[in-house]
Amino acid sequence: MIGDKLIQVRDLKKYYNRGAIKALDGVTVDIDRGDVMVVIGPSGSGKSTFLRSLNLLEMPTGGSIIFDGVDITKPKTKNAEGKLVKVDIDQHRQKMGMVFQHFNLFPHMTIMDNMTLAPIQVKHMNRAEAEKKAQGLLERVGLGDRAGAYPIQLSGGQKQRIAIVRALMMEPEVMLFDEPTSALDPEMVGEVLEVMKELAQEGMTMVVVTHEMGFAREVGSRVLFMADGKLLEQGSPADIFGNPQNPRLQDFLSKVL
Amino acid sequence: MGTFIQWKNFEALVPYATMFKEGLIVTVLMALLTVLLGFVLGLVLSVMRMSNFRPFLWLAHAFPGVFGFFERDKSGLLRDSGFLFHLGRFNPLSFLATAYVEIIRSTPVLVQVMVIYFGVFSQLFDLPNFKIFGFIAFDRFFPGVMALAMNSGAYLCEIIRSGLQSIDGGQTEAARSLGLSQLQNLRFIILPQAIKNILPAIANEFVTIIKESAVTYTIGVQDIMAMVQAIKSATYLIMEPLLVATGLYFCLCFPLSKLIAYIERRMSRGDRR
Ligand SMILES: Nc1ncnc2c1ncn2[C@@H]1O[C@H](COP(=O)(O)OP(=O)(O)OP(=O)(O)O)[C@@H](O)[C@H]1O
Ligand SMILES: [Mg+2]
Repeated sequence: MIGDKLIQVRDLKKYYNRGAIKALDGVTVDIDRGDVMVVIGPSGSGKSTFLRSLNLLEMPTGGSIIFDGVDITKPKTKNAEGKLVKVDIDQHRQKMGMVFQHFNLFPHMTIMDNMTLAPIQVKHMNRAEAEKKAQGLLERVGLGDRAGAYPIQLSGGQKQRIAIVRALMMEPEVMLFDEPTSALDPEMVGEVLEVMKELAQEGMTMVVVTHEMGFAREVGSRVLFMADGKLLEQGSPADIFGNPQNPRLQDFLSKVL
Repeated sequence: MGTFIQWKNFEALVPYATMFKEGLIVTVLMALLTVLLGFVLGLVLSVMRMSNFRPFLWLAHAFPGVFGFFERDKSGLLRDSGFLFHLGRFNPLSFLATAYVEIIRSTPVLVQVMVIYFGVFSQLFDLPNFKIFGFIAFDRFFPGVMALAMNSGAYLCEIIRSGLQSIDGGQTEAARSLGLSQLQNLRFIILPQAIKNILPAIANEFVTIIKESAVTYTIGVQDIMAMVQAIKSATYLIMEPLLVATGLYFCLCFPLSKLIAYIERRMSRGDRR
């Protein structure tokens, strides 16, 4: 289904302090189904803000985000019969999995409960079914024997793999990653990137903010370069890394590569 | 009169042991009822303070064409400052609860007790004058509990609120990004973690109420402090009954706060499992 537009971002703006800080300054981009979009850029360029706006963890100041044909930044939308109905953000968030830099597992729950809570409460899946599904996912990421453990008993790399499969439990249409390996010890980065790579190969639509240029080059289908809240350049990994046009991008690459 | 503290004076108090016992029961019962009612009030106040009841933003969402200006400026950008921004965010429930909490926290409990008793109960209500267990005068006890609960509710509101807000924001973000609603987030993620901070703080508030409840003797509640006054009139002794009262309050509060501290330590050890 490549080429089918999943998320259309139009002139997205996020201002702070009466516009003195423009964390996002008019970003327009399409995210197609099956895209693995890697977002790179210097610190403070608005990468996190962009990602967090996509599922409205930040409410954008202006512009629109059309997800599955619905502008989720507006309070109301036209439904199939052309009637105005309320936009239910909870419902759209179910379809966007999110993985955070600091994992954000629920410390008072076992790994199994971390994974089954949302499917059971939100999707009304029955417990046995949810647990079976969770066990399958745990085995896929090599953590089949940790279902009964608490987050505190796991290493950083294990926590992040759990966070990924927890989001997958909801069968999202897109997965958003905000620097998923930045809080990890170097020896654990590989195991998390490996899981993300497999996910990409299965055709999952992904938006990944990362400083791992190797991952961007190898796994990314498109790379976005952001600076000062603006999308300065986008293209295939080969173009971005092999033939950068924008001087800011050239400068950035010379520092990180 | 004017005697030094003497052992024989304590012996003179022996006949009044029942009075101290009754005073003790009144104090403990009053503190228990206060913390119970105060908790209900604190819960209501904290829900009001943390609610998302914003009439002007609601209008903006319901009728974007007409009232959208509460949320967005002329060029359609979300407001983040200015009069209309603050009007849009105005939450009357939160405003009322905040005003209540601040007034209570900035005035002496003695004044509150008197205002409630003389200003509200003796003016507006005709309380039945019967005795609970044969020695607790309802028409004094009830206003005393109400006044203390109204005071304590303000503090308990802050205890509940800060307990909920002490949970890392990343937890809410993770929950919401999984599609859990605000209420589900509160119920499954925030409350179970916050309760470990909130419960010990409520227990400590109970200890505080035991001590503060002493002011209710001024409106005639027959608590420990009132018994000291009564015995003073009967025996002309003041230091000895006061020392007994001191001992009673200490024996109530000290072990309780130690127990709470112990349980708190054990609960936080569970966290590091
Ligand atoms: N709540 C806020 N109030 C004011 N300014 C903010 C706020 N949140 C973000 N910003 C600013 O917005 C800009 C973009 O921040 P953002 O976190 O999106 O950058 P980033 O590209 O993710 O950076 P990093 O690589 O360090 O994570 C920064 O200048 C930041 O200081
Ligand atoms: Mg960031």
